[in-house]
Amino acid sequence: MRYDTIIIGGGLSGLCCGISLARQGQQVAIVSAGQSALHFCSGSFELYGRCENPLEGIASLPKEHPYRKMGIELTASYAEQIKDIFEAAAVKCTGEATRNHYCLTPIGVIKPVWLTLNDYARFESPDRIPWRKVALVNFEGYLDFYPQFIASGLAKYGVKSDIHSLSLTAFDNLRESSTEMRATNIARIMTGEILEQIAAYLNSHAGDAEALFLPAAFGLFDDTAVAELRAMVSLPLFFIPTMPASVPGVRTQIQLKNYFQRIGGTYLLGDNVVSGEIENGRLKSVKTANHGNMTLSADNFVIASGSFFSHGLIASQESIREPIFGLDIYADRVREEWYDKDLYSHQAYMGYGVVTDNKFRCSIDGKCIENLYAAGSILAHQNALDEGTGGGVAITTALFVADEILRSR
Amino acid sequence: MRQNGNNHYDVIVIGGGVTGAGTARDCAMRGLRTLLVERKDFTAGATGRNHGLLHSGARYAMTDQESASECIRENRILRHIASHCVEPTGGLFITLPEDDLSYQTKFIKACHRAGIIAKAIDPKEAILMEPSVNPDIIGAVTVPDGAIDPFRLTTANIMDAQLHGADIITYHEVTGFVKSQNRIEGVRLRNQSGEESTYYADVVINACGIWGMHIAKMAGVEVNMFPAKGALLIFGHRVNNVVINRCRKPADADILVPGDTISLIGTTSSRIPYEDIDKNDVTPEEVDILLREGSRLAPILSQTRILRAYSGVRPLVAADNDPSGRNISRGIVCLDHAERDGVEGFITITGGKLMTYRLMAEMATNMACRKLGKKAHCQTASTPLPGSEPSKESKRGKSHIIELGIEQKAAKGRHGTMSRYIHSHNAIDDALVCECEQVSVGEVNYAINSLHVHNLINLRRRTRMGMGTCQGEICACRAAGLLGKANNCAEKSLNDMAAFLNERWKGMYPIAWGDTLAEVQFTSWLYKGVCGLQPDKGEGINEEKEQR
Repeated sequence: MRYDTIIIGGGLSGLCCGISLARQGQQVAIVSAGQSALHFCSGSFELYGRCENPLEGIASLPKEHPYRKMGIELTASYAEQIKDIFEAAAVKCTGEATRNHYCLTPIGVIKPVWLTLNDYARFESPDRIPWRKVALVNFEGYLDFYPQFIASGLAKYGVKSDIHSLSLTAFDNLRESSTEMRATNIARIMTGEILEQIAAYLNSHAGDAEALFLPAAFGLFDDTAVAELRAMVSLPLFFIPTMPASVPGVRTQIQLKNYFQRIGGTYLLGDNVVSGEIENGRLKSVKTANHGNMTLSADNFVIASGSFFSHGLIASQESIREPIFGLDIYADRVREEWYDKDLYSHQAYMGYGVVTDNKFRCSIDGKCIENLYAAGSILAHQNALDEGTGGGVAITTALFVADEILRSR
Repeated sequence: MRQNGNNHYDVIVIGGGVTGAGTARDCAMRGLRTLLVERKDFTAGATGRNHGLLHSGARYAMTDQESASECIRENRILRHIASHCVEPTGGLFITLPEDDLSYQTKFIKACHRAGIIAKAIDPKEAILMEPSVNPDIIGAVTVPDGAIDPFRLTTANIMDAQLHGADIITYHEVTGFVKSQNRIEGVRLRNQSGEESTYYADVVINACGIWGMHIAKMAGVEVNMFPAKGALLIFGHRVNNVVINRCRKPADADILVPGDTISLIGTTSSRIPYEDIDKNDVTPEEVDILLREGSRLAPILSQTRILRAYSGVRPLVAADNDPSGRNISRGIVCLDHAERDGVEGFITITGGKLMTYRLMAEMATNMACRKLGKKAHCQTASTPLPGSEPSKESKRGKSHIIELGIEQKAAKGRHGTMSRYIHSHNAIDDALVCECEQVSVGEVNYAINSLHVHNLINLRRRTRMGMGTCQGEICACRAAGLLGKANNCAEKSLNDMAAFLNERWKGMYPIAWGDTLAEVQFTSWLYKGVCGLQPDKGEGINEEKEQR
């Protein structure tokens, strides 16, 4: 099988890159193992979380950082372009690259972010939360949503909360098995009559609250259920992300994947690239677990297989490697250098990844593979947690790589 | 809540390890008004940092006949009184091609001298009995080893001590003694908020393991101890069902023990300075030795996911006439400081091992009774612990257990007959907090209400929550939610959760490669990233760095 570009990895970065290329006329295939970091996404994306204006903050990052490799101007331009892609894919969100806004995390921390999905709680500043009192509603027996923590977080900024526990017979089937009460399973049954029951409960229990906050367990495939519920409820209603699996994350992944397929992309789900054939400094083809000896060939390739969590990088007792091609990586040699003994301190391993040139092209033994690009969290010299850059790096490097590929023709 | 109306007791036991808990139980059962004080949580020291091996005594048969005989006697007693903490797995002593097979004959004879049933079997039979064992073995001996859960064992002793009227205070550190002339009359305590209190007793028993040296010094007596650190690894699933030992002189990583859902390899042995007894770190070298030697016992270990590394400190006591520490005893040391040092009302019980905790408790309690002029016989060798009493259910045969859900079976395994106090049979209580270890909401609430749970680390030790393959990834937040609700303090629960996750990391970084590194990256993204969790930089949580 032959494509213009093959992308290894179907998470946020792989999908954004694939969509950008397909929109510009390429035949693209994405090979995806399945789950990605999107599956525990919070409903918000970060560009740079350590200062008010992300674009200004980027300038202070080290020059090997992916943002610095692209430059501030291009980073800003891709941060703008993604809005168009998200809109086309029906991922509805808002935010500005020049000014962070704030979202609520599952444990009630108020955190600066770049983009937030439209049905999620957000405010321009923690000191200017538009409500004096809110109602936090959980489902009886649902353990991955923490109204007490959220109430405590809001109280720090002077917002009062009433906590309600909503019991529905509709949950009885889910509760039959003790592991079924998860956001994604709950979201599946949130339709029709159940939404009406919930709306009735909310309307009668809201009291003097000015807004309603619910766990993000509505609308797994699209926002129909969200719109229906909102239409029936008299007060403003917002969602707060839960512990995984994340409904907004899964929904975003599905929407991006559907859009990619709609514009002609091929999404090979549940498959893994196992090896590649390199000749004269170019990757000719790859083999996957499901396709056996049949090779997939393309003019260009993108590796967006993620960091350790997604097995884009593998650490053994002795060393760290990129498992498919053995790409050159940046990592410390001695195991004791990989980590800090305090979980909350800077962890060196988070910054490990494949090293690239300024076009994000990978290399093996110092020799550039001219048509193999890397995007997203597999790139070295970024630390999503220290910098608050996770989603932003995934998105902007993906779009940058797509443009490089188009330019290379 | 204290049961005693005032601050005066017959006996104060210092130390919430298994020896202290056992001693408090024995004292209380003999009718003594008893108080147990612990500076942190139960099982925070060596009790929670060992193999969890129900020794047959065979390991000591060649080197220490006295310890070997003590072990096999206590082995038989524990199977009876602590049946819900014991798994009678049986054990093997294997000889590998590089070992001397003639050692086996001497070993079996030594076992028999100590009263341990040891039987040489055909290596092929041994492989059938335990398929994970190194197939190259040239010799195998069966012994009555087993697995014992030190957390459950300690909790059951504490519970029974309380049922017999004892008072228990955790998170109170001894800061000094009330002394009048040459008599110890009480202890001064300080809790974690710095509040001080004083309790009085006719006899104070120092059951603090390696920390007993420091306690003794406060009482004005010298007990010369040598801390010996042992490191262990926990594997992500139950590799073996039978304890595997190496049939040679005791050495590094020569015992592989199955326990609940996991297997443990250990130990290394190294002297450490006394100042380091609270460090509990495991070096990359120790990890490498454990993996290399462990894989000789069961080759599959080299490809098995490691969950955690941890270490504990054995309290080795130097003989009184030998300050250099060359002549060190691994046996039980029960010191009457009146006789030895002229300090009345003070006893130190130390040395020994998990296996002999009950015997140590008996010896210390006998001494206390003598001092108090109390004539009461020890009953701990025959009276089952709470959870291990013969139950009506067991007479009903196996049929009832089939009716139980998985989480109820797991809880029954953990709490024995006490599991009847766990709310179940409704969807809310049966919902799982910890999916790896099948810990339900009902079990968590039972532990919070009945088992001295102040934080998530306590909860883990009482229930196994967070001890499974994901090391608390999802259950930390769920349990923090329940604890926050029970204590009505969200902020404290979040700080507690931050500390709990950091504590889990302590046992993971020495083995941070492969799936462990992938898992911790996920945990970090989730808690630091998605949740925005930050540790409390202000006061900090004064929790020990427990590892198991």
